[in-house]
Amino acid sequence: MGSSVSHAGAPPPSPAAAPPPPIPVGLAAALPPNTEVQGDAKGVSEKVDWLNLPCPVAFEEIQREALMSLKPELFEGLRFDFTKGINQTFALSHSVFMGSMEVPSQSSDIIKVPTAHYEFGANFLDPKMMLIGRILTDGRLNARVKCDLTDNLTLKINAQLTNEPHFSQGMFNFDYKGQDFRSQFQIGNNAFYGANYIQSVSPHLSLGSEVFWLGHQRKSGIGFAARYNTDKMVTTGQVASTGIVALSYVQKVSEKVSLASEFMYNHMTRDVTSSFGYDYILRQCRLRGKLDSNGVVAAFLEERLNMGVNLLLSAEIDHSKKDYKFGFGMTVGE
Amino acid sequence: MASNVSLKGKEKAGKGSKSSEERSAKCVKEWSTWAMKKAKVITHYGFIPLIVIIGMNSEPKPQLYQLLSPV
Repeated sequence: MGSSVSHAGAPPPSPAAAPPPPIPVGLAAALPPNTEVQGDAKGVSEKVDWLNLPCPVAFEEIQREALMSLKPELFEGLRFDFTKGINQTFALSHSVFMGSMEVPSQSSDIIKVPTAHYEFGANFLDPKMMLIGRILTDGRLNARVKCDLTDNLTLKINAQLTNEPHFSQGMFNFDYKGQDFRSQFQIGNNAFYGANYIQSVSPHLSLGSEVFWLGHQRKSGIGFAARYNTDKMVTTGQVASTGIVALSYVQKVSEKVSLASEFMYNHMTRDVTSSFGYDYILRQCRLRGKLDSNGVVAAFLEERLNMGVNLLLSAEIDHSKKDYKFGFGMTVGE
Repeated sequence: MASNVSLKGKEKAGKGSKSSEERSAKCVKEWSTWAMKKAKVITHYGFIPLIVIIGMNSEPKPQLYQLLSPV
């Protein structure tokens, strides 16, 4: 994860024999520099190898930097996580949560239900296979499986199983990674079928699209997405036939600081939200905060007290609904 | 299960309107629903024990007390 904003095409340092200083861009640093102008807005005088573009970020992670900065896991109450590593690949985790969980309600009132649960989890992390299972005291199981069937083909399974009938969910994903594209096919419960495809069209720009079909409600949709990233910034845009337009922009101001902003428009409910946030990754702590157009101010602090001991503080203040949520917790272990 | 199928067959023949393809499609749907229900129960109870068993057999092989002790 780390603080690097750009995933695709992290450039190696340019060789000393370069002419007056070109900025190494993607693959261009590895190729002998020449004076051919590329048509890039920055006027970098390097040739782009159009047959050797970098592999793009997966379609569902296209807004990953914005989500990491703007949507930390805010909680209300007490949280304690203990992860015990037994092996390089095998770990057990115990987690306690006591606090209020919000129940979604139709009216504008907030309904909070005090809950407390203990969650037991087991992780098995192999280079080829990852198995994560979590079971709560009310009988809910969260299972995640990620298996590399071949070098390029990956199977991912995500499931939430409950004791109540008809509330369980599951999703199978088959990912195929090509040299400069990624494609994914999804099968889910309620007869959900989806597919998406993303392709690098330049060292910085990748375009993708997705289609889905929901059998039980006979709904289908199509969406398009674009992602432009450089070393210093990432900007993404997504449009879907469900009436959602989402744009985001993340700027890496320095090694330790990133600023992010996001805009979302829902055509069906005529809902517009925009938020601005910051992400400070310092030596001993990580502080993320955001300000929303709905009148929500939130902050999340993870402070490293000691090797493997982290203190968590979470705050979310919703001025318009007069909802104040504060949480504190501790994480022990990796 | 075979007696179930033949019973259904007799009922459908009695009504006299269902074709054999519809009957077999219904049977396949019933059995696949039954299989999915069993698979869900097996996963619900067995997934975490499966991870623990795979983990305890991985290299370097951990001891049993390491599962239970908090150190």
